[in-house]
Parts: sequence; structure tokens; C-alpha cells
Amino acid sequence: MKRKLSQAILAVSLSVFAWSCNQKDPDPKGNYIQGVFVMNEGNFQQNNGGVSFFKREGNTAEVEIFSAVNNSSLAGGVQGYAVTGDIGLILVDNDKPGLDKVQIVNSNTFETIATIGTPDIENPREVVILNSNKAYVSCWGENGSYTYKNGYMAVVDLKTNKVTKKISIGNGPDNLVLGNGKLFVGTTTFTTGKVLTAINTTTDEIVKTWTFAGTPVPFGMDADGKLWAKNGLDVVRINPDSYAIEATLKIAAPATKSADNFVFSLDRRAILFGLSSNYGASGETYKFAITDTQINIATPIIKRVFGGMAVDPQQGLIYAAVIPSYTQSGYAVRYRTDGSVMDSVKVGIQPTGFFFR
Amino acid sequence: MAQKDTILLAPVTVTAVSPERFMSGLKLQKVDSATLSNFRFQNLGDLLMFNTPIAIKNYGPGQLSTASFRGTSANHTAVLWNGLNINSASLGQTDFSTIPVIGFDQLAVQYGSAASIVGSDAVGGSILLNSIAQPAGFNSHVSQRYGSFRNYQLQTGAKYGFRLNDNWNFSGKTALNYNRMINHFSSTERRRYALLSSQTIQQGLVQDFFFRSKNQQEFSVHIWLTKNKLTLSPKEIAGRELTLTEAYRTMIRYQFKGWSVRSSWVRDVIDFATGNYSNLDHAVTDRFSGRVEKDLFWKMNSFGNIQIKTGAEWANYRAQLTGYEKPLVTENRADLFALTRWQVTPALIMSVNLRQAFITKYSPPITPSVGAEYCLIKNEGYDLKIKGSYARSYRVPTLNERYWKTLGNPDIRPENGWNKEVGAEQKFVLNENFFTAGVTAYRNRIKNWTYWNPSKNYHVENLQEVLTRGVEIQAGWMRNSGILKSGANLGYTLNRSSQEKAYDNYAAEIVGKQLVFVPKHSGNLNAFVQVGNTRLTSQIQAVGKRFTTFDNSQFFNGYLLTNLLAENSWSLGKIQVNIQGQINNITNAFYLNVRNNAMPGRSYAINVTLSSVDFKTDKK
Repeated sequence: MKRKLSQAILAVSLSVFAWSCNQKDPDPKGNYIQGVFVMNEGNFQQNNGGVSFFKREGNTAEVEIFSAVNNSSLAGGVQGYAVTGDIGLILVDNDKPGLDKVQIVNSNTFETIATIGTPDIENPREVVILNSNKAYVSCWGENGSYTYKNGYMAVVDLKTNKVTKKISIGNGPDNLVLGNGKLFVGTTTFTTGKVLTAINTTTDEIVKTWTFAGTPVPFGMDADGKLWAKNGLDVVRINPDSYAIEATLKIAAPATKSADNFVFSLDRRAILFGLSSNYGASGETYKFAITDTQINIATPIIKRVFGGMAVDPQQGLIYAAVIPSYTQSGYAVRYRTDGSVMDSVKVGIQPTGFFFR
Repeated sequence: MAQKDTILLAPVTVTAVSPERFMSGLKLQKVDSATLSNFRFQNLGDLLMFNTPIAIKNYGPGQLSTASFRGTSANHTAVLWNGLNINSASLGQTDFSTIPVIGFDQLAVQYGSAASIVGSDAVGGSILLNSIAQPAGFNSHVSQRYGSFRNYQLQTGAKYGFRLNDNWNFSGKTALNYNRMINHFSSTERRRYALLSSQTIQQGLVQDFFFRSKNQQEFSVHIWLTKNKLTLSPKEIAGRELTLTEAYRTMIRYQFKGWSVRSSWVRDVIDFATGNYSNLDHAVTDRFSGRVEKDLFWKMNSFGNIQIKTGAEWANYRAQLTGYEKPLVTENRADLFALTRWQVTPALIMSVNLRQAFITKYSPPITPSVGAEYCLIKNEGYDLKIKGSYARSYRVPTLNERYWKTLGNPDIRPENGWNKEVGAEQKFVLNENFFTAGVTAYRNRIKNWTYWNPSKNYHVENLQEVLTRGVEIQAGWMRNSGILKSGANLGYTLNRSSQEKAYDNYAAEIVGKQLVFVPKHSGNLNAFVQVGNTRLTSQIQAVGKRFTTFDNSQFFNGYLLTNLLAENSWSLGKIQVNIQGQINNITNAFYLNVRNNAMPGRSYAINVTLSSVDFKTDKK
């Protein structure tokens, strides 16, 4: 009884504490506190990408929220978006060198706060946020001759909005996964790089590089805390501590096909991916469980492939990006977990990624 | 029928007639020498923007600028140099930023389809650049321009003409130009939009020789070399981008007794590289061509006069491009044509023209056109003329469209269209004032419009069909009262240009939508006032909203650009000095280019020309 009383007192005091916290730190104000953000890469050379936004319950998007709020466009393709608290980081890639940037905005209002440009940021690819102090941006660096020799991880101090360190990584650092106190960095499949890199997120030093048969593309941590990566038409499960490959699942498809857009289901116990031919011109989307011993490509979950795919961590719906052409609006198509289509929302030019709040 | 009216069959000998004579019913705008002089330090794109309704799609200062004529694409404007189409055979278009206005003597802009007269590409209209024979005497000049952003230009040359012997006269022109456009902008952005840094080095040589005889023989040689080296982001050594465009254009012509023979060689070289330039994308296209034509003229008494130009032309293309499947692509083309101009009565002129092109492996459709002009009113001081034309047009697919590795399509068909237009022109004189006014309405439907289809990995296909229609209104005024001269020219264009054919699930969203970078509304106003040797000119260009995506979901706002020029000239002995001050974009208007970068704001230039004039004939 006494214990129950003390629990009740604790609960009350906690809620008072929470309430007083609320008093000190009121609910954020802005139009973009909750909803779906779509990253649009725009058309090559037109630098007309942007961020589209819609509420989960709606099916009409505000097509370009940054320019609507700031009266000036991002002037590039949007490669990534991530949020910590009131801060949002937009990766902007212009087709010409020297004009790329990380656009830092108020995540609730989308008002501009700061930009980090050249030479700190050049050809940004992905962003992950470790905590309210630190973010990582993979950059190809200047790459006019397509040699992918100048790549690096930019470590961004979110208190000063400055790049405090560049960690050099060859072959075009690209996909990023955070887990187990480490940042796992894959490289672009445009190169023959075969190295996966692990960076200690406390020291920002490379703690491990290890070689694969193909180009490793890390895509997430599963419910058991294991790292997953694609490697050509193989999917591998990696122990993030020992770096050992614990399982290799083969996609039994001709080598002319490519597997992309690997995403975890809401419970992180299943993986969805697209298998396409002709660089994404046609194909299907499949699903397998992390416990499967082989990948079933007999029955697709969705009979098409997409320019990008994500699973909403709140509702579990599958969001798929449709790119009709690079000169007209794209769509975010929503599918239920069983692959049945729900609806679609018209967004910006060349949507390729999603961010959920 | 009375025997007296029998057609007199003996043709009258005439000198060769320019093809424009057969364009009756079509609108032809001759750009005056004062305008050419005002733009002598600028490129052809700049001149066309301020003086015609042609929409120029510009990627930035010194960068790619292509024409959209009456709402058509960059591939639908024929650019003719002394009658020869100089559009790049691989790209099928001309980058107007690489064509300096100083490179030619005369400029005319012909509106609407004239493919039966000039051949492929003349779908939206044609740009006619010509060299002319010089008068007797010797005249040389040096011109320099110092501009904002540390830009510098130098032009020098001479024009000369003299008698070789009792029968022959000789004349010629030699001109050199050098431009160094550093574009050192004082700020890297405007209104938070980047000003992309770029540098252009441009060099050019023009050489014309004319030999003319008393019995109307003419032999001429024409050489025009241009080199344009554009570097984008020059300071970013690992990311910079080089586009080196070189053109070698040569031609010899001979005319005698209504016969005209022409032979030419044109080489286009484009080098493209990025970063350390180790991986150079090298493209060379050679075109050897010849043309023979014969002009005939009959006086048919009560049936009026008939002029006929018949001829043939042929060309051999040799292209070596890194992107092509084969290291060397060759192709032969030939055209047969018959052009007719019939002056039915003093007030009525009709043209009937026919052309058939033949190309290795396939041929475009037979291309006819008919046109008429009728002088409705002709009083002292007032003229009213109405005109109309109905013409087929075609565009031979570019070499890239057919031979590019994987993406090209050897089976692609020529685009073709039907252009209809009607117009009225009036001129009237009132005391010292001379007024002109004109209106033209047109409708042009182009089928088999090619499209690099992104849903088929950019494979090129004949997917689209485009309908363009619009109205052009022009009004001009000139006043000449001795020491005071003044004038103004006003133009307005309404253009609706839309894709009409659905070819996939998502094409429905672009059907009927305005084509990208084609403003619905545009206009210009040019005005000058001259007192003695002092002249003030203003150039205004108005461009309406331009959509930047096929579904019209994004657009650029309209803008108004104003340039102001003031010049004065005087004599220092035998030297004539001309100083011109120029303020470009005087209102500091903000507008964007295709790359979504800002265009520069207000800028200044001062042009100094020293010329020596020595007319031998005057002295005698």
C-alpha cells in the first residue's frame, strides 16, 4: 500500500514535473510539427527540387514549403532531410560545384536559420543526426571528373552550425546507418568500392573498415540490433560489434536486375525492397522477414518499383515515390502493410525520399 | 483567247534572286544597321531578345542560349549563314551565345514555317545572316569595350573595295574579335539566389571576298571562324566545367546569268570536360555541301510576271562523337526544290514552293507552301497590305537522335507540321513622321515531336504533338526633321504553345499545358532620339510568366529589362571617334535563368571605336 502510495506520489510529481517542463518549454508552434516530408530532387540542371509536406490525415501536399516560407527557393535538388528538436537539416545539391549546402531550418516553421556551404559541404548525399549536438553528412566532395576521390563525412556541430571535422572516405560515401555507438558508412554503387566503414560517434574516428564482394549499402538496424546491408543481389546481416557477417540471403534474380530501396517494416522484423530492370524502368517490390533463410521473389507485395520508399514509423504505412518524368510533378503513393494501395498525393519534381514527424 | 496574250516564253536573264523573294505571305523582319551597331559587342541571342518575340532560353551569362520561335523548341529555328543552315548537325540547334553579332553584315528574321524555301529546321522561323559586298574605298576600325565585372572586348577590321581591271571589281572585309568575359560579380548571390561564376573567352575571324564583273558575274569567298571557351565555376578546380565550341565555316559562291553555284564546308567541334579535363568529350561534325540553282523570269503580259528558282543541294555529313556507337557516322542528304513568285497584278503577289529532301535510309515528306500578298490600299502616304501563308514544315532528326549509343533511335521519324498564318501591314506618312503597324496571327501544329523519354531511360521517341498559336502585333514610328531624328518600335506577342498528345498514364497532366520557358505574353520597346551625332537609345524587353515544368506546376515570374545607350561621334582629322556608354538592366531587375540561378543586376560598359574612312571614289 505504502509502495502504491509512493508510486502515486511519484506519478503525480512526475506529471507536475512534466507539466512544469511544458510551462518552461511550450509546445512548438508552426505548420510543420507533425506530418510527412517528401524530398524532391528536381530536374537535372534546373535545380528545382524542394521539400513537400502533407499531414497524414490529408491527401494534398504543400508542394514546396521552403520557398513558400522563405520567399527564396533551395536552388538545388534535396538529397536528405533530418530533424532534431526544433532544428531541421536539408541537404541541397546544385548541379554546379560551389553551390551545394546544408540548409538549416526551424523544423516547425521551416524558417531559415543558417546555411553551411562550400567548401565544407560539396555533393551532400545523406544526413543522420546523432543527438541535439551533432549530425553527420556524407559528401562526395568535388567530383567533376567522376573519380569519387574527394569524399568525406562532414561532422556538423549543431550548436554552432559549423562543420568541425571531415573524415575522409573514398569511393563516394553515401548511405548511413547509426547504431551501437557507431556510424556505418557505405559508398555509392556508381563506383567499385567494396568497403564498409564504421566510425565511433564519440571520437569521430574510423574504427573499422572491412571489405565485401560488391559495394555494401547499409540500410538499417533490425529489431535485434543487427546491421543489414545490400551487397549486389545479396542481403547480409552483420553483427555491429564483431563486424562478422552472420547471414547472407541471396536474391535469385538475373544479374541484369538491381535491388534497391531497402526499408524495414514498422516492427523492424521484415524488409521491403524493389527489384528492377532497366535502371528502375520496370520491376516489382518484395518483402521478406529477417528470420527468412531465403528471399521469396515469386510473389511481389506490390507490382511496381519506385523512385524511393519508406515506412512511416508511426503508422507503418508504406510510402512510395513515383516519378512520372523529371519535368512534371511526382506522387507519394501510400500502401497498407499488405501492399494494397491506399491513396496518392501529388508532390514536387522527382521525389526520392521521405521524412516522418 | 486572244493570241496577243500568249505567254512570252523567252526567259529574261536576271541575277540570282535571294530566297526571301519567295517568302511572300510570310513575315520578314529586317534588322536595321543601327540596331546591329548597338549590339556589336553582344551575341545574337541578346539582339533577338530585345528586338523580336523569339523567347531565348538562357542558362546564364555566357552560357547556352537557345531560341524558341513562336513557341517551338530550340530545334525549330533554322539559322542560315549566306543561305546555308549552320545549326549543329549533332544537336540540331544553334547556341546563340557563341554567335557574335559582329560576325555578319545583315540580319533578317523570317517568321513561321519556310521549310519549302530553306529546308529542315525552319518550323518556327528562320534567322538569316548575310555577308554583303563592300563599296569602293578603304575603311578600318578598332573598337574596345570595357565593361562591369572586369569584362573586356576588342574588335578590329577593315572593309575595302577597288577596281581590278576594266571588267572586274574586288571588295572584301576582314574582321577579328576577341572577348574576355571574366564575369567577376561583386556578390555571389542576389536575393539569396546564386550568381554562378563563369568565364568566356571568345575569338572570331570573318573574311569575305567578292569579285564582281560588269557582265554580272559574281564570285565570292566567305570564311567565318568562331571559338567560344566557356568555363563554369572556374575556381572549383575539381568540379569546374569546360565547354569549348569551335565552328569553321567556309563557302565559295559563283553567280552568272541566273545560275548560282555554291560549295561549302562547315566543321563544328564541341569539347566538353569537367574537373581536371582528363576525360575530354570530343565531338567533330563535318558537313560538305553543294548547291546549284537557276533563276528564270518570264514576263507574261496580262498574266503578270513569274520568277522561278529551281535547284538542288546535297550534303555529306561525317560525325565523330564519343557518345556514338560507331566511331564515324556518315550520311548523305539531298534536296530538290522549285520556288515560284508570281506577280499577278501590281497589287497581288503569290508564291508556290515545293521541296523534297532525301536522306540516307529515309526521307522527310514532300514539303509544299503557298503564300499570297495583296495590297488592299495604296494611296499617297498610306499603304495597307494583307498576306497569308499555308506551309508544311519538317525537321530532319539530329545525328544525336539517331546515332547516340543506346538512347538514340535509328528509326526516329522526321517531325513535320503545317503552319497557317494571316497578317496585315500598314504604312503611312504624316509630315515628317513615318508609321508602320502590323498584326499577324498564326497556328502551327507539329507532329512526331521527338522526346527523350525518361520513362524509357531517355530513349528518344516521336511521342509528342505540339500546337502553337498566337498573335504578333508591331508598331513603329520614325521622325526625321533634319538635325533631330527619333523613332520607336513596339512589339507584343501572345503565344499559346501546348503539348496535345497523351502517350503514357501521366501524360494527361501535361496535355494542353503551356510549353516550358515559353512566355504567353512578351513584348519589347525600342526607342531612340538623335541630335546631330549624339544618340540616346533605350531597349526594353518584357517577358511574362514562364512555366518551368511540363505540368506547369512551377514557374518563373515575369520581368522587365531595360538597357540605356548614349553615344557620340566626332572627327579627329581622318579618324572618326565614337564613344558609347551603356547601362544594362538599369532598373536592376531580378530574374532567373534555366539553372534557377540569378541573372546579373545593373552593369555598365563603355565602348570606344576609332575608324578611318577613305573612300577613293569620293576623292575623284
